[in-house]
Amino acid sequence: MPSASSHAADRRTGFDRALLGGKAVLLVAAATLVLAFPRMAPDAFILSVGVVIASYAALAVGWNFVGGFTGYISLGHAAYSGLGGYATALLIIDGGLNPWVALGVGALGVALVAVPIGVASLRVRGASFVIVSIAMVLILLLVSQSWSEVTGGSSGLRVPRPFGEDVLRPEQHERFFYLHVALVVVALLVWWAIDRSRFGMGLKAIREDEDKAQSLGVPTFRYKLVVFVISAFFTALAGGLYALWFGYLDPIFQFSILIGSYMVLMSLLGGIRSLLGPVVGAVIVGYALEYFKNQYGDTQFHLVALGLLLGVVVLFMPDGVLPAIGSLVNRFRPTAASIREESAAELLERSEETRQAEEVHR
Amino acid sequence: MSGPLLLQSIILGLLLGGLYALLAAGLTLYFGVMRVVMIAHSAFLILAAYLAWYFHRETGIDPLFSLVITVPLFFVTGVAMQRLLLSRLRPATLTMMSVLLTFAIALTIEGMLGYVFSGTQRRIQLGYSGSNFEVFGANIAAVKLIAFGLAALALLGLYLVMKKTRFGQALRATIQHPEAARLLGINTDRIAGYGFGIGLATAAIGGTALSLDSTIYPSLHWHWIGPLMAIIVIGGLGSIPGAAIAAMVLGVSQSLLQVPMGTTWAQTVFYLALFATLMIRPQGFFGGRLAQRF
Amino acid sequence: MSSGSSSLRSLETEGLTKSFGGVRAVDGASVAFQDGRINALIGPNGSGKTTFFNCVTGMIRADAGRVSYRGKDVTGAAPHRIAAAGIGRSFQLCRIFPRMTVLDNMLVGVRPQGVVHRLRSSRNGDDISRARALLARVGIDHLERSEARDISYGQQKLLELAGVLMTDPDTIMLDEPAGGVNPALLGRLGTLVRELNAEGRTFIIVEHNMEMVMSLSHHVVVFDRGAPIAEGDPATIQNDPRVLEAYLGV
Repeated sequence: MPSASSHAADRRTGFDRALLGGKAVLLVAAATLVLAFPRMAPDAFILSVGVVIASYAALAVGWNFVGGFTGYISLGHAAYSGLGGYATALLIIDGGLNPWVALGVGALGVALVAVPIGVASLRVRGASFVIVSIAMVLILLLVSQSWSEVTGGSSGLRVPRPFGEDVLRPEQHERFFYLHVALVVVALLVWWAIDRSRFGMGLKAIREDEDKAQSLGVPTFRYKLVVFVISAFFTALAGGLYALWFGYLDPIFQFSILIGSYMVLMSLLGGIRSLLGPVVGAVIVGYALEYFKNQYGDTQFHLVALGLLLGVVVLFMPDGVLPAIGSLVNRFRPTAASIREESAAELLERSEETRQAEEVHR
Repeated sequence: MSGPLLLQSIILGLLLGGLYALLAAGLTLYFGVMRVVMIAHSAFLILAAYLAWYFHRETGIDPLFSLVITVPLFFVTGVAMQRLLLSRLRPATLTMMSVLLTFAIALTIEGMLGYVFSGTQRRIQLGYSGSNFEVFGANIAAVKLIAFGLAALALLGLYLVMKKTRFGQALRATIQHPEAARLLGINTDRIAGYGFGIGLATAAIGGTALSLDSTIYPSLHWHWIGPLMAIIVIGGLGSIPGAAIAAMVLGVSQSLLQVPMGTTWAQTVFYLALFATLMIRPQGFFGGRLAQRF
Repeated sequence: MSSGSSSLRSLETEGLTKSFGGVRAVDGASVAFQDGRINALIGPNGSGKTTFFNCVTGMIRADAGRVSYRGKDVTGAAPHRIAAAGIGRSFQLCRIFPRMTVLDNMLVGVRPQGVVHRLRSSRNGDDISRARALLARVGIDHLERSEARDISYGQQKLLELAGVLMTDPDTIMLDEPAGGVNPALLGRLGTLVRELNAEGRTFIIVEHNMEMVMSLSHHVVVFDRGAPIAEGDPATIQNDPRVLEAYLGV
């Protein structure tokens, strides 16, 4: 028995090492592609699509702090990207701040505002939480449309360009592409740090069974609120950065449930519980969206495509693409023994062995 | 606000509340039978409105007659949706996934409407579109009264079915305690399907009522889902009477606020009430024992 | 085992009351469990044991009454505060974290000690060896890498207990531990409880299995219609006419 299992263990670690090597290669290849993208892009339009996809990735990762760790699905997360956009713009226009300072301060402001919002929303779970998140973004839409003195109302708000007018458009696209990618990387690093920490373990327990987690001593409300604020911060940064690039804010697009649903779909498709899932989802869905918008132009057909895609993912692939690939890969993993129903007798036998071994050692 | 204006606002609010009540009742049914948050409810509402408009445009007959087609059609669609799509979802993550699935359905409907009918705003013009009635000294548009009448009739019908029929009893049992209902021999899966069908039928009626009086466009459903969701949370998730009461209260409030504050700001009353509910009594105010903390 | 009264106070309630609609599930219950002993809470179905349990552990808010632990008032405290006070609990229908591995299930219970502690990696040597030791103690250490939803119900029950032990509780409350468990595993559970009690942990066990209650516990509290009707050691309780009346309705 011992020799067989240790032999199998060797094979397992051999497989794991190969897997790790494979993942590293893929990661390096992907990173190279991403960094080289602006040079490789044939024209400014493709480059701008790249910026849009990078922005989606940033938004999806920001959303996934809450969705992935706690399992709370927010359909109204565009509230925070929208607030980030307006905060950045208004701090520049009315506050006279430097654009990058405005971006940071604006995001911090949104994080602060997210505290009372979180205190109210996180008191409820499941369906009620979703409803509240939708209500949040709808009310912000209403307010921003009506409060024209501040937000420009439905006629929109022009955001001053941080790089000045003499920097050509392709150059602007390239710079903002790298900026968005940098934001994604930073957000992923924070996500990774939380994932491996005890705080993250508590959050994941909340996702699996919130009451059970609480009974084990996890301060669930506090934990949920902290990760909610972190999520709002990164989402606001993404919104503000996009505002600086796009140069124009319209309430309908800033506080859009649709964009909120993109964030959900992308994270869900890529894999809500994985680090790179939202990024993968953003690339796939983002590309598909831009393709449909391009092909079908002004008709609302891309909504149909989006709706169908979301429906398919929910019905057939609720865990997402990356986990599906993960379990496919695991099929090839050499196993020592399958998990089988251990009879009570075997269980007793095993624990007797352990006790006898302990007796001997004493 | 002057006396007659106040009275008019209240009456309009009651009429509006009636429509909200019918729609919120439908929304509550979905949640009651299956713990599903049916975001597509308002999208079906708008779809029904479009169908009524299209019916009127093509046949010239009063759009109210489109109910003959839309109510059974929507009922069947509701049953089909429950049996074929929603029952596929895993029970562990049902609520969450149902939100996303019904959201997807809503997007698809909006997209199809935009594709088929384009984004142009539509409005039905009827012979009696402009006529008014005197109600307690206030001037009320005939179409609003008809819409209210329709909603009230439908609600009455729903009440009678729920309280007086065998089916209604089975439906109530399924909502209150599905396991016990099953032990009593009730086919809860089939009942859930019918519950869904009824819910969608209310959307058909509500949509037709809406078409008489409003300008419709594909993305209009977003204006309705927010207030409706707020209503059912405030009323208490899972309680039809709770939803009806909350609907009336909020309808009147919205109407009263419309004069001093304008339409857009008046809509915020729903969200303010929602947040107040969350802070004070998250399980809702009017639902009583039936309301769930969700 | 150890006889005589203990000087330390354990879990106590005073006039605890909870109603659901018109039904008084817990009706002015005043109980004092004994520290360092194995306490059992028994009673016929519907006597309010589980509601009492849930009120005490913070799952439900009682309508009236006080709960104290070791002299400190914990009435209405949230479940995580109850856990921090040193009370661990299991659930009637065994609850574990289904999509997490057995080892990760254990690591959730590590007691938090400040912000920096929480930011550190959860998969560190100390916590893992402690988790492994506990898993070995209950006999499921070989399942460390399996997902909790893939192991058998009996194994999940052991995992739940091991997970509670990870929080290092002074008092362990078990809600019907014998539910759905076969006789062999039941014996193992009983042995574990005795061992842990000998190490100084107090037990409060809600249970229907009379054999287990009588053989295991030092102190028995009998509930009927939402309040305690009798208290004492197993032998006395078995012969108490009030207890027989409650169970048999005689």
